[in-house]
This record gives sequence, structure tokens and C-alpha cells, in this order.
Amino acid sequence: MRNFKRHLTDTLLILAIALLFTGLLLLVVGASPLEAFGQLLSGSFGSWSRLARVLNVWIPLTLCSLGLLYAFRSGLWNIGVEGQMVLGAIGCTAVLRWGMDTAAPQLMLPVALLAGLLLGSLWALLAGWLKIRGGVHEIFAGLGLNFVAMGLILWLIFGPWKRPGIASMSGTELFPKALWFPTLEGWRVSPFALLLTLAAIALTAWVLNHSRFGLNLKAVGHNPRAVTLYGLSAQRYMLIAILISGALAGLAGGLQVSGIYHRLIPAISSGYGYLGLLVVMLANFKLLPIPFIALFFAALNVGSIQLPMMLKLDSSLSGVIQGACVLSALLVFGVRRLREGRSG
Amino acid sequence: MQIELQQIHKSFGNHHVLKGIDLRVDAGTIHGLVGENGAGKSTLMKILTGYLSRSAGRILLDGEEVNTADPATAAALGIGMLYQEPQDFPPLTVLENFIVGRDSHPDNHRGRQQQRLSELSEQVHFQLHGSDSVERLTVGERQQLEFLRLLGRDARLMILDEPTTGISDRQKARLFAALRQIREQGRTILLVSHKLEEIAALCDRVTILRHGLVSGEEDAPFHIPRLLELMFDQPPGSRAQPQQCPSGKLLLALDQVSTAGERTGLNGCSCRIHQGELVGLAGLSGSGQGLFLRLAAALQQPQTGAVSFRGISLSGRDHRSVRRLGGTFLPANRLEEGLIPGFTLTDHFTLAHGCSRSEAREAATQAIARFNIRATPESRVESLSGGNQQRLLLSLIPTSASLVLLENPTRGLDVASAEWVWHYLREQFCSQGALIFSSAELEEILAVANRILVFFDGRVVRDLPIDQVDYQDVVAAMTGG
Amino acid sequence: MRSPARALIQSAALAFICLLAVPAAFGSDRDALIFGMLLVGPHNDHGWSQAHYEGGRYVEEKLPGSRMIYIDKVNPADRPGLTIPMVVDDLVDKGAQLIIGNSDDMKDGIREAATQHPEVKFIHISGDDVLTGSAPENLSNLMGRMEYGKMMAGFTAGLTSSSGRVAYLGPLINEETRRLAVASYLGARHAWTAVRGKPAEEFKFKVSWIGFWFNIPGVTADPTQVVRNFFDTGYDVVLSGIDTNEALILANQKRAEGSAVYALPYDYIGSCTSAPDACLGVPYYNWGPDYVRIAKSVMNGSWKQAWTWSNPDWKDINSADSSAIGFAAGPALSAENRSRLDSFIADLGSGRLNLFTGPLNYQDGSVYLKTGEIATDKQIWYLQQLLQGMEGASK
Repeated sequence: MRNFKRHLTDTLLILAIALLFTGLLLLVVGASPLEAFGQLLSGSFGSWSRLARVLNVWIPLTLCSLGLLYAFRSGLWNIGVEGQMVLGAIGCTAVLRWGMDTAAPQLMLPVALLAGLLLGSLWALLAGWLKIRGGVHEIFAGLGLNFVAMGLILWLIFGPWKRPGIASMSGTELFPKALWFPTLEGWRVSPFALLLTLAAIALTAWVLNHSRFGLNLKAVGHNPRAVTLYGLSAQRYMLIAILISGALAGLAGGLQVSGIYHRLIPAISSGYGYLGLLVVMLANFKLLPIPFIALFFAALNVGSIQLPMMLKLDSSLSGVIQGACVLSALLVFGVRRLREGRSG
Repeated sequence: MQIELQQIHKSFGNHHVLKGIDLRVDAGTIHGLVGENGAGKSTLMKILTGYLSRSAGRILLDGEEVNTADPATAAALGIGMLYQEPQDFPPLTVLENFIVGRDSHPDNHRGRQQQRLSELSEQVHFQLHGSDSVERLTVGERQQLEFLRLLGRDARLMILDEPTTGISDRQKARLFAALRQIREQGRTILLVSHKLEEIAALCDRVTILRHGLVSGEEDAPFHIPRLLELMFDQPPGSRAQPQQCPSGKLLLALDQVSTAGERTGLNGCSCRIHQGELVGLAGLSGSGQGLFLRLAAALQQPQTGAVSFRGISLSGRDHRSVRRLGGTFLPANRLEEGLIPGFTLTDHFTLAHGCSRSEAREAATQAIARFNIRATPESRVESLSGGNQQRLLLSLIPTSASLVLLENPTRGLDVASAEWVWHYLREQFCSQGALIFSSAELEEILAVANRILVFFDGRVVRDLPIDQVDYQDVVAAMTGG
Repeated sequence: MRSPARALIQSAALAFICLLAVPAAFGSDRDALIFGMLLVGPHNDHGWSQAHYEGGRYVEEKLPGSRMIYIDKVNPADRPGLTIPMVVDDLVDKGAQLIIGNSDDMKDGIREAATQHPEVKFIHISGDDVLTGSAPENLSNLMGRMEYGKMMAGFTAGLTSSSGRVAYLGPLINEETRRLAVASYLGARHAWTAVRGKPAEEFKFKVSWIGFWFNIPGVTADPTQVVRNFFDTGYDVVLSGIDTNEALILANQKRAEGSAVYALPYDYIGSCTSAPDACLGVPYYNWGPDYVRIAKSVMNGSWKQAWTWSNPDWKDINSADSSAIGFAAGPALSAENRSRLDSFIADLGSGRLNLFTGPLNYQDGSVYLKTGEIATDKQIWYLQQLLQGMEGASK
């Protein structure tokens, strides 16, 4: 209970600092902070369709963040989430393109998601393999593979998968409606994707906090040298962690294709991989806050559209708030550590 | 330069490391400093070079009291140190390394410095070229560069820490010639070494440290047994005869094993260890004992030769195979290698036994009682004292283990605890398998083991059953005799 | 430390309650017409998007009670996660009855949104869903006959070039962009051979495509580098076909370094202002009149689905109130060439001159128009390749 209270205090403190900072910034540029925050809030939760949009961002962002958490638990920085998402999207697109002409295209949807999951995890495995066998630090391997993935997706969109006649940044040809993930009438969220994400959260909570695998993973992250003496292979656990990380990112990429854009576009990853890093850092590498922080970030992203529309403010304000949150989180956590260090 | 230390004390917390050292080194002499590990040599050197402050005592240079408060001050006073590991910048050239760190020197012209480097180099017959990249140099050449750098800075007191480690015989001969030469120039040299022949060949006078005190001073020519006597404690008159376990089947075999690592590597080590043996690995620290244990645990792979455990070759296998076969390893760095900071005792038992949390908590509770660990099952391991951490590690050893490898197992334990630990280990494991341990204390090995391997410079120089051990001989073997 | 922290938390909580209290609805039903504008680029890009933005402003000015809600940078690179149907939902929530999407790339999204909001009217600029029959009834297409503007631009380029090398900075390759590049080529070739009487073989026309309508670092070719390359290889006039005005900026820099080079921007009437000395003129869109017409039809219920390809007003192509396409001659255009341009425009307007007249061959040598054949609208709209005589990729 004391812990919970402390976390709540931290969270509110972080929010307060970030909003205070952004508010001051808005005052400096001559805008009303109250109005801007109001627009952000109403623009994200003001109606069902807006909430639906928030959830559409929340789903991939949460999946990526969960994936990142596995990697972090094993002590790895999986910067390659972006690329893993892209590969997931490519895998999903490939299956859907192939499945368009089959008799039962609906059956293709789960297969396509599986393909996304698979390709995403293989791409992650490559980064892990580069680290473990090649001695390439995973941050550089991940960044490099992100670039390769970007090159690959551009090549596919402008090359083999281009629209008839036109190669365009707007992506490949739209899939037929039968290959869209079904949504509820008038609500642009796939309930299936939502359930999948909730299941992923529950599963992750169990795996990381209650299973032996989770404990072992954490041990690897805390002291990779020592775990050998307990009969665990640190390398194997790292590979499994990054594999799960990539699988979740690949799933997110697949959902982006089949549930949101219904085609492959160059910006399919939407930067959620990097945003997910911020989410996890803000969550202090813990699971419980992640869905909430992801929801907050998703709301900021969606709500920020209102700023240029209604207030003629640049929508990058949401990015400023996100950045301010992470910085104030680092500050709050840092101060707490310092004080604990002094008293302990 | 004459240097005189008067009643130097140093304490780390309650731990009194230097207990009043008096030492005088006359100008123009080579002075040796010897002593067992932990005798206080490196602490003393760190105080001299300004890396540590002293708790009490005076330092006099040419009769004048000085304060070597920090490394820069010490360097300015003309105290230079040649470290075991070269302190240079490999990406730079020889000349750049020679110049680096003296940016404010008025005579910082590249050409003039190049000339100075050549002059000094010629003086002591080193062959170093200013334009060479340091990355390409051997350890010996890098040491020569360091040496020239100190000369170039007019270091009047030069401290050398194990200078012959890792260099060739030719380079050693050159270094010794150079040292003799600069002695003629009136410089003072303090040589710290384990290798008593080198000390004997080079030094004019030797100071021996033991347990933070000066146990003796000798002038050349030296009588090496006398030095050994001063370095090590006297053999106790009566020693409890180590308990003999029944000898059994072959467990561990090393055949001509060589590998790199630590200071010396391990060279051509062959050895067979049977059930019932309790083997003590003696030697000055870093002489190959650690490598021996890690090879046996398959934490390290040999470069040549073969290791097998219960008849199964460990080539290409990792520690998990050894564990499955009943081997276990306890490292000396408990918190770095043995335990997982942030994890509780229960977590550790879950990891080690692969059991459920409630079973692990039960095991932790039992271990706390049985091993007298001052903690609760939910204590985090980093909050435990060193002794309690060690007891926890011991309690984590599977009771069915047939090969227990221990690195300094009683470090940080008081005498009573250590006795209890040995009693437990012997009772639990000796009849069902073998125990191999390294220890910094020869006494402990002699008291506990029933077989001793003595390591020197990466080789096993003695392999004896304990009842055939001659104390003087072991001590001499540890220092290369 | 304890009490300030509590104070902070309390004030944060208070701030949040205030936020929640802010009324969510800003739209007021007293507006006669709310129309939404989805701009692919920034609203002040001195190019394509700004031209549409100004068109929207023109509607607000001409139709009292009308109000525009615009959102710019509607593309997945600038606004990750945003899709057209989502923004449309939002605009409809805000009361929009007419929604304009100004990019070819919005084609699928607009169509999907139009299907889901049958009560709202949609215009997809530059699209052909109506022609192909794939558009729902509430979706129209609108485009201006920019090929005339491009002919004029090409014409001034052909008149001014001293090297006989004219370059075209193209965006991505599709029917529209091929069409405009070809129109530019026809205008320039006409000026070089028919007006200046120089041999056709001394004339070169090169097209380089950057890959998108504007620069996306790391994804498209850098337009500045492409233009620099043109100038460095002897091309002295560059026609821009992209949404932003890198060509003009660089031409101005090159002039400062002493080369006599020129550029013609595109899309927006005010584009020359950033570098008047290098600007020969700009072919621009004037969306206002068409927008007013369509907005009125939505207001009075006379909306009809249409595929509209609007002509310039040949009486005065620069009329703000009637001409869909204009050409603003730039300060760098000489007086002599200016009068040549005027008679060229007059000839185009009267129909005396039609540059889409055979014989014209495609780049691969196949016949596009037989001798004397005049291209139909569809032949121009669906141009399959660049023409023979042009250098650059067709697909």
C-alpha cells in the first residue's frame, strides 16, 4: 500500500512538472495553456470516435512497450522495435496479398498476423544474434536493422508491390474489405485487436512477475555473469527476450496493416517503437504503469490534432509534453534514488 | 633522492592495513619491497603516489617533510610509478604518448620532444621510434615507453610494480640494465616484486612486509630462505591433521591444459582429481589458481589441452553441463559473479533449485537456520554482510554435488565461521565427491586440504599429498624457488 | 519537502479538474457552412497546400457564414498513426458538411470516409474516382487544367534559356505528373523551335523525379541536390513540379554566384516573392472560384457529383474570381518575352494553337498522336509515357 501511494505521488508529480513546463511554454508563445490542455483532453476523450482513435494508437504502442519490457528485463536495449514492427507489417502484407485471391480470405487474417509476429521476431533475433555472436552492441544492431527495414519497405512499396501504374509514398494498393480486421459498427477499433492487447498485458504480467521464466529473465538482466552459476544460459534468455520483444512489435506492425491502414505504407511503424521506449522509461521499467502511460501518450497524440485545427498551434506540443514527462520522470526517480541512497 | 617513511598507518574502517611502517630508501639505490599478498605493499605504494591518503605518519624527501596529497603533487615531487598494466593511450603514437599530459610544459615542441625521446631511448638502449603506433607495441615495449616517460619527467623516485610480468627475457635484461644505469645517475628505485631471484639479482637492500608491519630488512647479498622466513608466518608447531576421506573414482582430469587470462595464464597444467580429495590451490594471487577453477567449471575454455569431468570432455560445453554432472562453483567476487543484486534469498533459491516460490521460501528459511545467515527469506542479498553472503552461497550448493570448486571460500569469515564452513563442506561433500579450493592463506590450505597444488607464474610447480608437504619448500615454490 | 510536494499534487489535481471542465464542443450551429480542408503539406508552404488554403480563405470571404477547419501535414510521415477516415470523423463531429482532400494520396481514405458519411459531401482534388466509377455519390473530383499553366511555364523557359537545356524537377511518377511534365516540354519546345527558330536537335529537356511531392529526408531524393545537379550540367532553367520551392531558392543562390540561371516554381501565386530575380513566372492554381461554386451548391442543396477539370478564364487568366489556372509572369522575364508570352496565351485561348497535336510519339517510339490528330481530354489525362525528345523515366 505504501508502495502504491509512493508511485501515485511520483506519477502526479511527474505530470505536474511536465504540465507546468508546457504551460509556461504556451504562455511564452502567447497561447492559453488551459485552452490547449482542454483541447488535448476533449480531442482525445471527447467522443466515442476520438476514444476509438486513441485506442488505435494505444494498441500498437502498448504492444511495443510490452515487448520492450521483456528486452529490458534481460538487460537489453531493443532499439530495433521500429524495424521489427516494419517487418511485421511486411509479413502481414505479404500473406494478405497472397491470400487476396484465395477462396476464404478471412482465414488469411490470423495467418497474416502470425506471419507478422514471426517476421518481427526473426528480425529481432537477428539483432540478438549480432550481439551474442558478433559482439555488436544491440543498440547499434537495432538501429542498423531499423535502417535496413526502412530500405526494405520502401523498396517493396516502390518496387514489387507498387500500385498499378504509380509508385507512391501513399503505399501499396488498398486491400479488399474482406481483408480488413472487422470493427464494430461506427467504431473504428477492432475488438479483436483490443482483446489481443489486453491478453498480452495479462500474459506479460504473469510471465514477468509470477513465472519462473520471468524470474530467470530478471536474474539475467541483473547479473548475466552470475546466472551461469545457477545453470542458466544468459545468452539464451537474452535471445528469447528479444524474440518475444520482436514478436510483439511484429504483431503491432501486422495490426497496423490489417486493422488501421489496410495497406502497407512507408511510415507504418508510426514511430511507436521509439515512443514505446519513452513509455517504458516513464514507467520506470515496470509493467503496471505501462498501459496507462501508453494511454496517456496515445491520447496526447490523438488530441494534438485539435491544436492546429482549433487553436492554430503546432501539434508538436504533444511531443513536448511527452518529452517533458520523461525528463521530469528521470528527475523524480533520480531524486528519489538519491534520497534513498542517503537514508539507506 | 632519499625517501623516508615514518610510522605510516592506514586503516579502512576498522581494518588496520598498515600498522606503522618505517622505511628508508637511500638515493642511488635499488630497494626491494616484498611481502605476501595483503601484506600492505600496494597500499603503501598508493600512499606514496598520492592515490590514497595515509591515516598517520610522515613522508620525508631528502629530509624534508612533504605531503603527497594527490597524484599530481606526487608527480611534481618527482615520484613516478611504473604500473603492471601500461598506463598509456594505444591509439596514439609513441611520441604522442611521450608528450601527453604535459601540455603546459614550456618545452612542448614536438621536434625537441622527439629529440629528447631519442636521447633517453639511446641512453638506456631501448629501440623505440616516435612515429610508431602504441597499438603495435608489445607489453614490454609499452613498459619501456612508460619508463622513458618517467625519465623524461625527471622522476627521481621510480616505483616499479611487478615490472617483469608479461615481458620477454630479453626485455627483462634490458630493463634491468636500464635500472642499474639510472641508479648510477643518482635516481632512487623502489622495486615491488614477488620474484625473489629478481630481487636478489637487482636490489641493494630489501624491506619485507608482513601483516602491515615491517618484518625485516636485509642487505645484499641475500639469503632467499631467510627472506621467505620473514615473508611468511612460521609454521605452527602442531597442526590438526586434515581428515582423510576415502579415495575413490576419477572425477576431474586436466591434460596439458593451457589458457590465457589473469596475469599469468595457465600453462601446460595436467592433473587428476579423485573422489574423496580435498585439494587446496596455493600460490600468490593470480598465479593460475583462478583459471584452474574456472576451467574445471567450464566457465572458461582451454586454448590447448583437454578437461574432462566424470569421463566427459568439457570441450565445447558450458557451465550448465558441469552443473548437470554435479559440479558447482563459488566465485570469490560474490556480489559480482555469485549473487544477483536486487534479488531476495527466496529468489535465489527459486533460481538455484528451479522450484516454486513457496518451496524456495521454505528452503531459504531452512538455510537461514542451518547456515546461521543473518537475514530473512525476503532480504535482498546486497544488504547482507560479506560473511552472510558467503554462507548463503554455500547453502545454495546442491547437497548432491560431486565436485565443489571454491574460490577463497572463507574470505571475510571469522575463525569460528570458517571452521564451521569447513566442517560442513567436508561432512557434506568429501565422501561423495571432491572439493577444490583456492585460498590466499597458505595456513588454511595446510590445515584443511589433503592434497596441495602450488601455482607459480601460471604453472603447477608442486602437487603433493598433504602429509608430504614441507612448509619451507611450498613457500619457496610459491615465489619461484 | 513533504508539504510542497503535497501542494504540487493538489494543484495538479485541481488543474486536471479544470481541464475536464473546459467545454468540449467548440463548433457552433450558427455557421451556415463548415467545411473541412485536409492539406497534405503545411498550410504556408508557398506551394500546393497554401494555394488550397487560400482558396478556402476565399470561400470564407465570399460566403458569409462559412467557416473553414483545416488540418495540414496530413500524411503518415508527419502525423504518424493518423488516417483520413479518422480525421474526417473528427471534422464531421465538428459539423463539417463539405470536406476537401487536396492530395492524390488521400484517394483511398477519402473514398472510405465518403462511404461512411453519405450525408457529407467530399471533394478529392486531382483524383479520378468519378471517371472510373468507383466514387460514392457524395464524392466529386476537381482539378485545374494545369497543363496550360505548364505550357506557359515551359514556353517562358524555352524563350529564356540560352543553352537550350531545360530541366523539370518532378515529384513521383503518375498520370498527372507525366501530363504536366509533357505540357512543360511542349511549351518549351514550341518557344525554342517555332518562336526562336532554333534547331530542335539543340534543345534538351530532362525530367528527374525525386519520389514524392516534397522532400522527405532519407526517403526522397533531395530536391536541392537534384536542382544543383541540373545547373551544374548546363541546364539553365528549371521548372519545378513539386510542392515546395527549392528550385527557385537554389537558382537565386546560383545567380548570386554569377550564373545566369532561372527557375519557375509551381502551384501558388505568391511563390516568386522569395526570389524575384530568379523567377521567370509561376503557373498557379486558383481554387477559390471552384470552391465557392461547390460550397454554394452544398448550401443550397444543388450538389451534384462531378468530375471537373477547370479551364483558365482565357479573357483574363489571372482573374482571382473566375480563372482556375493562372500564370504570374515573374520579374525576371524580359519585356520582349513577356509580349511573346501574351500572344502565346492569346493563341492558346483562341484555339489557334494546340500543342497536343500530332505527330507526337511516346518515349519508346510508339505513336501517341498521329499527324494532325488532336488529343482528347482522356488522352491527355491518362498519358501513358513521357514523349520522345524528353529525357527521364516514364514509369
